[in-house]
Amino acid sequence: MFLARVTGVVVATQKVASMTGHKLLIVEPLRVEPNERERLIGTGRSFVVVDTVGAGQDETVLIVQGSSARLTPETEKLPVDATIIGIVDTVNVENRTIFSA
Amino acid sequence: MQIGRVVGRAVSTVKHPSLQGSKLLLVQLLDTEDKPDGEPILAIDQLGAGAGDRVVMCNDGAEARAMVGAKNSPVRWFVMGLAD
Amino acid sequence: MRIAEIIGNVTLSRVHPSMRGARWLIGVPFSLKALCDDREADGEDLVVYDNLGAGVGARIGFSEGGEAAAPFYPEKKPVDAYCACILDSVVVNNGE
Repeated sequence: MFLARVTGVVVATQKVASMTGHKLLIVEPLRVEPNERERLIGTGRSFVVVDTVGAGQDETVLIVQGSSARLTPETEKLPVDATIIGIVDTVNVENRTIFSA
Repeated sequence: MQIGRVVGRAVSTVKHPSLQGSKLLLVQLLDTEDKPDGEPILAIDQLGAGAGDRVVMCNDGAEARAMVGAKNSPVRWFVMGLAD
Repeated sequence: MRIAEIIGNVTLSRVHPSMRGARWLIGVPFSLKALCDDREADGEDLVVYDNLGAGVGARIGFSEGGEAAAPFYPEKKPVDAYCACILDSVVVNNGE
């Protein structure tokens, strides 16, 4: 799994039939700043993900990717490879809270 | 499958029950120039590979689960052969 | 499985119903060089599901991809990184 920030929404009128009614979000993966490990930083990458928990713009989320992204009742029949499975409350590193929603 | 070199081993007491009794080898997968390809992996081995050996590594999860006899095992990589 | 150093954890305010109560750790994978030189883990961090009780500072072996969800068989859980073992020791014999 990885952490990411919701940066936008994809509106696609034309999409494969099975995706009708599923919200697609754009996210930027985050990582722990590797030297001081005191904050989360953006990676500059961008993914489109499907949402199972009702995440909103700018929220920090937990994402599962690969074949495991289909291992929920909501996504098992969808052609997806990345799914939001949680909304992050805190990130704690070496016993400091480096992110709090 | 990929060529690797055994670079060490790991010992674990607290682990998934399916790993009980399996030797955990530390293997570095290699590129075409025998340089490290990615981060080293832990693999199970039933062939008796040792430090420095060149090995053929397989990442077929279904076969690895069969080797440890557990459908619920998280194992994936195993030593498939020792390169002569 | 790759080897990671546990540096922290993540708590969630909302979670998929199938994952309620789960523990989420932040792991940093080791390169061979970092293991050889006994330095801090130097890979790109990721979030790992844990039910073995690994704490900050522990070295773990973690499974990825479809195998990370195998321990829940026959249930299905959206997990792509799973803490399979807490390592007591890692011996590196060949540091090239």
